[in-house]
Amino acid sequence: MATTNVVTGGQYNYDIVRKFTIMTLVWGVVGMLVGVYIASELAYPFLNLDLPYITFGRLRPVHTGAVIFGFGGSALFATSYYIVQRTCQTRLFAGGLASFTFWGWQLIIVLAALGHVLGLSQGREYAEMAWPVDILIAVVWVSYAVVYIGTVMKRKEPHIYVANWFYLAFILATALLHIFNNLAVPFSATGSYSLFSGAQDAMTQWWYGHNAVGFFLTAAFLGMMYYFVPKQAGRPIYSYRLSIIHFWALIFLYMWAGTHHLHWTAIPDWTSTLAATFSIMLLLPSWGGMINGIMTLSGAWDKLRTDPIIRFMIVSLSFYGMSTFEGPMMSLKDVNALSHYTDWTVGHVHSGALGWVAMISFGALYHLIPRLWNTKIFSEKLINVHFWLATIGILLYIVPMWISGIMQGLMWRAFDDFGNLQYGFIETVIEMHPYYVFRALGGTVFLLGMVVMCYNMAVTIRSGNTRAVA
Amino acid sequence: MEWLMWFTHFENTKPLALVIFFTVFCAVLFYVFGSDRRSQRLESYKDIPFLDEHQDAKGK
Amino acid sequence: MKHDKIERNIGLMLVLILLAISIGGLVEIVPLFFIKDTVEVVKTADGKEMVRPYTPLEQRGRDIYIREGCYLCHSQMVRPFRDEALRYGHYSLAAESKYDHPFQWGSKRTGPDLARVGGKYSNDWHVKHLKDPRKVVEGSVMPNYPWLMDPLDTSDIAARMKALRTVGVPYSSGEEEYQRNVQTFGEEVAKTLRIEDAEANLKEQAQTGNYDGNKADVTEMDAMVAYLQVLGTMVDFKQFDDDYFATFR
Repeated sequence: MATTNVVTGGQYNYDIVRKFTIMTLVWGVVGMLVGVYIASELAYPFLNLDLPYITFGRLRPVHTGAVIFGFGGSALFATSYYIVQRTCQTRLFAGGLASFTFWGWQLIIVLAALGHVLGLSQGREYAEMAWPVDILIAVVWVSYAVVYIGTVMKRKEPHIYVANWFYLAFILATALLHIFNNLAVPFSATGSYSLFSGAQDAMTQWWYGHNAVGFFLTAAFLGMMYYFVPKQAGRPIYSYRLSIIHFWALIFLYMWAGTHHLHWTAIPDWTSTLAATFSIMLLLPSWGGMINGIMTLSGAWDKLRTDPIIRFMIVSLSFYGMSTFEGPMMSLKDVNALSHYTDWTVGHVHSGALGWVAMISFGALYHLIPRLWNTKIFSEKLINVHFWLATIGILLYIVPMWISGIMQGLMWRAFDDFGNLQYGFIETVIEMHPYYVFRALGGTVFLLGMVVMCYNMAVTIRSGNTRAVA
Repeated sequence: MEWLMWFTHFENTKPLALVIFFTVFCAVLFYVFGSDRRSQRLESYKDIPFLDEHQDAKGK
Repeated sequence: MKHDKIERNIGLMLVLILLAISIGGLVEIVPLFFIKDTVEVVKTADGKEMVRPYTPLEQRGRDIYIREGCYLCHSQMVRPFRDEALRYGHYSLAAESKYDHPFQWGSKRTGPDLARVGGKYSNDWHVKHLKDPRKVVEGSVMPNYPWLMDPLDTSDIAARMKALRTVGVPYSSGEEEYQRNVQTFGEEVAKTLRIEDAEANLKEQAQTGNYDGNKADVTEMDAMVAYLQVLGTMVDFKQFDDDYFATFR
């Protein structure tokens, strides 16, 4: 394997990148499969099968954990280790520690999922993992920071390329968020109660929840974008100066906006107004970044027709632009009054998660895998098939969620001529059924695309080798 | 910790946020677009992802 | 300013990033820990706190509520809108969740809000509904929870209450703390907050309350229904006018 070779200046540690790349594919399939299953449970509740382990409530954290931390996390580890080595032109710092981040991270995802199935939960969205797992996450994360920052410090290139800035911000912010949101006092080997309560706990949790989206699912994937879009397009990023502004504005503004998840709840009004204001301002850096990415292709638009990998990347940037417009809009208090607690939120999250995060990862992986295994992609045609399955899947997912979300919001607040509520709650639930069916279908189509990718990449990898070191 | 109370009043927090945001933004803008030489230097960094390509060739 | 300092010096860059990401969090969250007015004062005419910590049985019900992930489909936060007032009741106060570790306000209403579900349905209705929701509410998409009829593990209730005491819930350990609770909540409530009597209190409430329709044993259903029945019932809104609560927002 590459790692055992004599280390020379041009040699990189690709072994760790390969491991994380494969697990990205694995967790992608697992996480999306669970997602499709729980979506089907909402459409057809008999699928809960009266088994405690697979009810919606227990599987939902398994889904979010596997896709965010398993799929997204592995993709970020893989690409960050790849990018930091190639843009710093140096071998990864502390190979052993890097290896530990791999095994540690995989253990975390498995333990978290097992725990959720067995009914261990901290009751905080996206941070449901039991406290021992939280400690393991903290340890792995610090190791990750050491490996990453260590590599940047021994770089041969004097300038730190902007993609690394985004990854650095992501590593620091995630550490901060994870630790503060999981402060708790244990009462047993697996159970604990959070340190904060009520309104303060809500603020902490949504400061975490929002910025997990902001730094884990946005900033880090922007780092991915800033490397792989130029590489795949074969031309440098549209404007480096715009990327600097994009970076500082984005990381500064994101942290303020978390409270827009708590509009109209029992927190002081000023916090929610402040959050809404900053959410609107966030539109500027978000769109600046999107324009920067898309304009990289200016003068080479024909690549959109000829290169399916570029198509993945550009469509992902379009979804990024779309959901970063939708987000600030939903953070307006009057819109939020309608959209909050409905499927609109779920649709919004998935247009970001499937459209932006997953699509940019697919693009990056298609670029990465042939280079990691010194080979050519088995089938360009299948990439194209994947692209269309993914795009159609997303549309089948988010359009029904828009309709059902807005419809449910309007039904809840509808009054009859006598000033009474027009609909009982259950009537709104029954009305959702067809949309839940379509949503599950959309998820299935997206998952199918993921399976096509796995097949394509498995054949590609088998045709390649890991001996030669680029 | 009494001084933190100052932040709890929205009439304080709002202008504070505005001032912080605006100064930082102006500083970044000035830094990025302030001088032609710096602009040129910054823009030269966008080629970093492509610098490693001759090494690829060497590796093979 | 040395122009290439930031992108060349990783230490400086890390500090600047930390600074940028800390400001927002600090300005938003820190004040909440220091201002008393975020949490409403709700007291009875004779000066006793209306919002009390959960009894041991209710707390165990809450633990099961979290275990089953109920918060993923049910919110516990009534917003100050006319339709929600009609559907659920008075909007939720911060005070009502001040002993909630963690909070369970939720973010999605696949099912209805539960912040004021207490007392709306009979125990019997809840048991039937939890065992098989579609028997009671046609068209419901909620899973069946037949395993809630399993016996409740009561052995670790004291350990749980001790942990909650550490994070600030006034469960009492020893005579002095008990007396303080008598002052704050009245004797009847204070008795239920004694960690020394936790397991006995739990069993007694399950048997006298008879939530699951079976007096003989203590089941998870007892705990769950006891918890659901107390939600949103602690504050007696008749004793306040709405302008009073508005001053806290």
